[in-house]
Amino acid sequence: MKISIISQNFQRSVNVWSVGFLQYKTAYQVQKYLANLHFNMSNKEKTDGTILMVEHLPVYTTGIRTQGYPESEERRLKALGAEFYRTNRGGLITFHGPGQLVVYPILNLKGFKKSMKWYICKLEETVISVCKTFGVEAERSSDTGVWVKNNKICAIGVHGSRYITTHGIAMNINNDLTWFSHIVPCGILDKGVTTLSQELGKPITIADVMHPFLESFSQEFECEVKMLPYEIRKDVINHLKKENLTNRAIEEHLLLNNDLNLK
Amino acid sequence: MAVCVNAFHKCLRLPTTLLKLRPVVHKLNATQITRTFCSTNALTARKYTEQHEWIDVQGKIGTVGVTDYAQGALGDVVFAQLPDPDSELNQMDDCGALESVKAASELYSPVSGTVIEKNKDVEETPALINQSPYEKGWLFKIQLSKPEELDALLDEAGYENHLKNTGH
Repeated sequence: MKISIISQNFQRSVNVWSVGFLQYKTAYQVQKYLANLHFNMSNKEKTDGTILMVEHLPVYTTGIRTQGYPESEERRLKALGAEFYRTNRGGLITFHGPGQLVVYPILNLKGFKKSMKWYICKLEETVISVCKTFGVEAERSSDTGVWVKNNKICAIGVHGSRYITTHGIAMNINNDLTWFSHIVPCGILDKGVTTLSQELGKPITIADVMHPFLESFSQEFECEVKMLPYEIRKDVINHLKKENLTNRAIEEHLLLNNDLNLK
Repeated sequence: MAVCVNAFHKCLRLPTTLLKLRPVVHKLNATQITRTFCSTNALTARKYTEQHEWIDVQGKIGTVGVTDYAQGALGDVVFAQLPDPDSELNQMDDCGALESVKAASELYSPVSGTVIEKNKDVEETPALINQSPYEKGWLFKIQLSKPEELDALLDEAGYENHLKNTGH
């Protein structure tokens, strides 16, 4: 099954897998599996990456700079009812939760341009273009991420290993922003956060944003976007089983929930 | 370094630093040169990986860093995660990361061995990697367990060639 979602005669092609709610830890295992898959992919079966789209339950995550986030801080944030993970991405602390579109592009940059600076810039351009679709003017600033005036609408933090990217972006659509008040997002003191819904003064859902996001991604990265083949989803689930990270409900959720909730 | 290979022109900056090595060789007389090349321990020529790490070996101790080209393509390094002394590494193990522009890029060990020292100055001031990639910005020192691995690494000309061929 290889239904093209967006095809504009680009030579490059990436898969997309939209899975809805997924635990942070499980999503990370899926990323690692896909990263390994793309690293080892032969030229014949080559796609240039997989875009994993998820939504998380409340979770705070830090990057490789862990100084400033001692265990007491971890306990404080967990007491709020969120999970807490220390990760290997760039950037400082951030929050993910319901109503936020989290996108993990697992790309083999060898097929694009072998530059992390270029990659981050393209991610920012993608989000700026999505905002534009909704009539919201967003921009980049000296601080990484995408901003609407002084408020961050999208956080970015990625990891690169042998030209394969993991982690990605978190775009605020209609999430509860009070979770951010418990932290200094990305270590930036004097700026705020916003959502797409807040900017438009009306509720927008993740489903509303998914297709515009893939359109913009396709344009910026000059690639067509296809559904992730069923066999690969099956392989991922088998891998999760081995790692004891799954149960029947998650398996069914992962297998079935592949249809993009497009409008 | 795993990432950041754009800005083709930047490779032109490499040779100026590397040329400093040459006069040392030129001053030697013929016998010394012969002797030098016969003894692997005495030879100190910087070697490179395709992932843009360099290693300078003296005796059995190698000093590792990233190339000028890599620091330029990374942009301002804001954080360096280096391997701790006594870490046992295999060749090409990932052994740390450098963070710039919200991206953490993995470091690989050019050789197998035991880490004996990391550069604490770089941990405190990561910008040293940008300012002085071959001197003050060195990352860690490693006691080689398989010196023969050096033979397969790139020499200066090989690395320059690699840069030319992978720019875009």
